[in-house]
Amino acid sequence: MMEDGGLRFLMEEVQYMALSFMGLVYLAKVIWFLKKPTVRDKAHLKGDPAKGAVVSLANIFMPWAMESTRTHWYFYLEFALFHLAVALTILTTFLIPFGVMEPGDPFSKVVVVAMAVGFVVGVRRLLRRITKPEIRLISSPDDYFSLALLDIFFLSGIWALGTGERTAMWVFFILTTFFLVYVPFSKISHYITYPFARWYYGVNFGGRGVIARPSRAFR
Amino acid sequence: MQDKMAVAKDMEISQASIAPKPEVAPKEGPKPAFEPQDIPKMLEILDQRMNRLLASSLAACVHCGLCTEACHYYASTKNPEFAPAYKADLLRKVYKKRYDWLGRIFPRWVGGRDLDVELAEKMYDLIFGACTVCRRCSFNCPMGVDYASIMSTARYMMAAMNRLPEGLKATIDVHLQTGNNMGITEEELIETIQWIEEELQAELEDPTFRIPLNEKGAKYFLTMNPREPKYYPLTIQAEAKILHAAKESYTISTKFWDATNYCLFTGDVANARKIAQWQAEDVERLGCEYLLAAECGHGYRSIRWEAANWLGRQPKFKVIGFQELLAQYIQEGRIKLDPSKNPHRVTYHDPCNAAKSGGILEEPRIVLRAAVEDFVELRHNRQYSYCCGGGGGALTMTEFAKRRLEAAKVKAEEIAETGAKIVATSCHNCVDQLAEINRHYKLGVEVKLLCELVADALVME
Repeated sequence: MMEDGGLRFLMEEVQYMALSFMGLVYLAKVIWFLKKPTVRDKAHLKGDPAKGAVVSLANIFMPWAMESTRTHWYFYLEFALFHLAVALTILTTFLIPFGVMEPGDPFSKVVVVAMAVGFVVGVRRLLRRITKPEIRLISSPDDYFSLALLDIFFLSGIWALGTGERTAMWVFFILTTFFLVYVPFSKISHYITYPFARWYYGVNFGGRGVIARPSRAFR
Repeated sequence: MQDKMAVAKDMEISQASIAPKPEVAPKEGPKPAFEPQDIPKMLEILDQRMNRLLASSLAACVHCGLCTEACHYYASTKNPEFAPAYKADLLRKVYKKRYDWLGRIFPRWVGGRDLDVELAEKMYDLIFGACTVCRRCSFNCPMGVDYASIMSTARYMMAAMNRLPEGLKATIDVHLQTGNNMGITEEELIETIQWIEEELQAELEDPTFRIPLNEKGAKYFLTMNPREPKYYPLTIQAEAKILHAAKESYTISTKFWDATNYCLFTGDVANARKIAQWQAEDVERLGCEYLLAAECGHGYRSIRWEAANWLGRQPKFKVIGFQELLAQYIQEGRIKLDPSKNPHRVTYHDPCNAAKSGGILEEPRIVLRAAVEDFVELRHNRQYSYCCGGGGGALTMTEFAKRRLEAAKVKAEEIAETGAKIVATSCHNCVDQLAEINRHYKLGVEVKLLCELVADALVME
């Protein structure tokens, strides 16, 4: 597999370029965002904004903390499995070029299982988006495409890792390149906006004593 | 005054049905529809209001739909257009087209769209008429989207074009022209306070009892919702009785005593600042240590949290809500209560602005556990409480009244579920909406403010 110079070029130089492009777009986005004025309560605070921010950012690991995830635990479970699969797939795109991981390795088998689960969840999410009127109403083409893209990405990953075939590797890494270039402009880039939104949510509601409430009722 | 008493004693009568026309008519009524020339100005406002909170809230939504069931409009009607993400998307579409890099080139791909008259009318219908800016959706959003900042911006984009509900505009105009939102004159206020004073002198058998007016150096500057002197003087009576029992130093100003600030509901910062400035200067004029906010949800939030942001400075006094002071008195043993005087089952409705946006979550529970014999929680409570439907200025928007009552179904069902005879709350808008829910859904409950239950349970020494 590694003897294919073209594939090596795709996995290394092209990936580095795509990754650099992604980083630059994110950097520009963050700079644009940080140029905007910040918002912070000027009143005497009741709670602790820093504690609020920590609790808010940790919310992702606390399905019991929000009613919406508490009552839709399967939705949270799907979310966790899907994002774990995405993280492992992205990790794979680094480990294979570095020679740390080879198709057929025990770890690659774990990743294949994760990708398969991710694929199933992705398909289910796509169907949910198509069939539920309230979700369909808020869905843009990018919402559908992003899910479809990830599903195809998972499939190609399963093919590549499962068989180790050269063609499969080409497909997987071409998709990886496209993924890296497209993601900064799509909804998939929510992981960049997520910490900011969660931070301000935590600072505001923490400061007001709504979340991470002070132990005494009043101060 | 007899009329006022009759009204006050029947808390089930809604102010919406008894409120007179504003005494000062607005100079110019809201216009019936948007015009194409409004659009550039609305976009200019969006640009001016773009801060990190708004930008992150507009950019972060992944359209997962987990907010959908959080909205009482959706939960009660199952209308998909009432999903919070859909309502927020009305502004998000404009953001995507104007700010999102891919959206500028391929707007449809990311759900972007130019702001036009059709979209603006849709915003008016859903953002004024199907959102109370309660923030329940935010507390159920995995991404941390602050819907209130989105809705508030959208509301101001419309209000600045004079496209806002007539009742809301009239309420604000009256406040700006007279110093309180019901146009109550200083003489009327003094007369009402003096009458309450006489009532309490008789009840307490103390001819020296006074309700201090304009007293410099008092510790607490007590504000009121104009509904209190106008329709519910028993609320002032309850407050005065409690403050007397606690031997508290307080005063009522006859100038800027109105706790409300309806500009919060239009996102009109300039006028919100003007009203907050009046309040702040009056408290500072009398040299009070605290502004004691009436049991008024949005009034509390406005003066406790937003005023400093609007004014750009911390006022020279602290702000405390009446609910907070009650809890403090109970915990410090400054008032004695006999819960057997409130023997019926009581449940508590958390006013959105005081709870979700104001942080008053545990204090009402401290008060009710001490003041009533049988307190039960609603299924959804604290920051997860469903809005009653009276928030966001909804009570002033008569054109959306039918929808407001339909959206209250989920709250009505929860109240019925508790078997409570009394629904306590801490907000006059909630009182009026709950009273309407009570009639509409035939719940057979009584709606009371916390101070009224506490006053009923007071053991005078």
